[in-house]
Amino acid sequence: MSAATAPLKRARPSQERGRDRHLQVVDEPPKRHTLVYLLAIVMVVAGTVFGAVALNALAAGSSVDARRLDAYVLEAERAYAQLVADVAALEDPARIRAAAFDLGLVPAGPGRHVALERNLPADGATTTVEVLDGTADPLKPVLSVER
Amino acid sequence: MTGQPRRRRVTAARLRTRSGVQLAVRRIRLTLGIYGLLVVIVVGQLVHIQVLNADEYADRGVRQRARTIDLPSTRGRIYDRDGDVLATSIQAATIYGDPRAFRPSETPDGTPLPAGADAVAVAQELAPLLGRDPDDIVQRLTRDAHFVYLARQLDHEVGVAIRDLNLPGIGVLTEPHRVYPAGGLAGQVVGFTGIDGEGLQGLESQYDSVLRGGPGMLVLERAPGGLDIASGIRELVPPEPGTDLVLTLDREIQHAAERAAIDAMDEYNARGASILVMDVATSEVLGMASAPTYDPNERNDADRANWRNRAVTDVFEPGSTQKALTVAAAIEEGIVSPDTELAVPDHLRVGGKRFTDAYPHATEQWSVADIMERSSNIGTITIAQELGGEVLESYLREFGYGRTSGLNFPGEGPGLLMPHDSWWSTSLPTIAIGQGVAVTLMQLASAYATIANAGVAIQPRIVRGTVGDDGRLTPTSAPAQRQVVSAGTAEQVQTMLERAVSGDHGTGARAAVSGYRVAGKTGTARKPNVDTRGYSSEYVATFVGFAPADDPRLVVAVMLDEPRPFYGGVVAAPVFSEVMQAALIARRIPPESAGRSLSEALEDAATVAADAES
Repeated sequence: MSAATAPLKRARPSQERGRDRHLQVVDEPPKRHTLVYLLAIVMVVAGTVFGAVALNALAAGSSVDARRLDAYVLEAERAYAQLVADVAALEDPARIRAAAFDLGLVPAGPGRHVALERNLPADGATTTVEVLDGTADPLKPVLSVER
Repeated sequence: MTGQPRRRRVTAARLRTRSGVQLAVRRIRLTLGIYGLLVVIVVGQLVHIQVLNADEYADRGVRQRARTIDLPSTRGRIYDRDGDVLATSIQAATIYGDPRAFRPSETPDGTPLPAGADAVAVAQELAPLLGRDPDDIVQRLTRDAHFVYLARQLDHEVGVAIRDLNLPGIGVLTEPHRVYPAGGLAGQVVGFTGIDGEGLQGLESQYDSVLRGGPGMLVLERAPGGLDIASGIRELVPPEPGTDLVLTLDREIQHAAERAAIDAMDEYNARGASILVMDVATSEVLGMASAPTYDPNERNDADRANWRNRAVTDVFEPGSTQKALTVAAAIEEGIVSPDTELAVPDHLRVGGKRFTDAYPHATEQWSVADIMERSSNIGTITIAQELGGEVLESYLREFGYGRTSGLNFPGEGPGLLMPHDSWWSTSLPTIAIGQGVAVTLMQLASAYATIANAGVAIQPRIVRGTVGDDGRLTPTSAPAQRQVVSAGTAEQVQTMLERAVSGDHGTGARAAVSGYRVAGKTGTARKPNVDTRGYSSEYVATFVGFAPADDPRLVVAVMLDEPRPFYGGVVAAPVFSEVMQAALIARRIPPESAGRSLSEALEDAATVAADAES
């Protein structure tokens, strides 16, 4: 029983023991392409840097464009505000009155109004108004029934 | 012998070795302790900066590299009722200097540095552009300061020219400048702003919070040299533009009123003149003129007394224009009617004082309408005595006396109407004919607008609404209304007032307007003494009326201060006629008389043309 359960103790051959104590020939380690690896890293880093710089340059360029547009808008707003003021000054009733006097105009008389001698269709006229032949109506294009 | 020393030496060596190891260990521990302490300090500081006070340090960092530019808001414009610009803002150039550039300095290590620029040479170049004396510029540039204004709110082109000179120590800023393109048109109404854009006078002051808007802010990131980083942070808080204000003024009517006021001042050597035009149906102010006037663009050259809007700030005794209100109260109370006849002598003694009519006459049987037409003091006093002081006072207050009109215009006066229980024995007759009571032209016009508007008083207003970012007009809230007298009473007074203009004995004949029926009343009141009791020898001439008389659309009130001659019917009535005519045309109100036929009009036009040619 003890022989059956006892661990097998195999004696190491003396030749193997002797071989352990000597250098062993090993296979050549796989070739590492160090240069390629370094180049790849350099390219990645360079690409990253270049990309970052390029993006930054693009952002800066866009920013400059935005500022130029801002300046353009501001200048346009300034010009518009100035034009509004200029137009209002030109419309000043006192200026127009003075200019009219310079041109020889005189103040109009009392307000008058004209009563039309016939109704216009737009005023509800339902009958055709007979226009005398040969009667020249100087305001025909404006006031006549044939308008 | 030999063994013992060797053992000692071994022991000593061992001891030395042990103490050396221990020393090394102690040193290592000490070093580790120091490193540990440093790590604790560093970590603690990190926690302090990055965790406990992270926000504060972040703000510090932003402040060090961020540049904040305040963006001023654009002040809202002021338009007349038709959208014509009365006040607007443009961009102006402000020139500043940095005196540090014009004086020698030294580096931190004490090395002296010469001045960066010659103040005299710079001043010589700037002087013609700034329009200033070179010595004054030099004096400013050599102050002990970091920033001095050299000139503010110059034309934009001047700023561009100075910027192009690229002078050392000189800078150009852009800031808004308030301008009034129509010059003095409605100057006293619109008012003006200060150099920093704050409303100081008139509607610019009253509606400053509406017009002003809110400032904005631009945050940029800058490099240590001060240059902006183009791709850095850029936060823009746009300024909130001010709200535009649309007035009820009609520019054409305003111009006609101002011109008439100035002409009347010149023609009658008056000290001042005020004219007010109102729309009867809405109590909107269409024109409000005061003379002498001023140009808000050149306000510093004008007398400050001319800045005020006399139509709402100055009070005067209304004189006979008051009689219409006294009679209206009596009719409303059922005491008289237009046909009621009264015995009217030419004088009357009340409270020991003798009152007279404007001219002597025998005791006449005049109707109330006659009394109004002839502007009889005695007849009106007789009616007022029937009415009583308490009732008269209550009606006058209902017409708007003794309180501001509701415009809330800066400096608006409430007038003066004493409570009836404080009246003297002569107060009733004097107040009944418009003396011993003071009103603004706005109050007087508003009272007549009430009569013209079927007895309904509408709170006057001068602002139609506001225009915001969406470009839409937001009208002001509907004005308060109150019925002062009945429509019947108002109509009877209207008829009597028409007789005062068109009647044979009417005092307001010169107020007539061709083609229109006009109703109104003259007023001539002595001015009270400023320093003592009683009245001076100076007068205020007034005329208030409305047209067309049968369907009143417009009210015009005219007041001339110390004119020569002084009768309201002589000096104020023609001014009324001129302004009313212009206002009726401007508002496209047709004449009441029958229009001419087209053929008649053409014949007239041909005649006029032929006359002109000949």
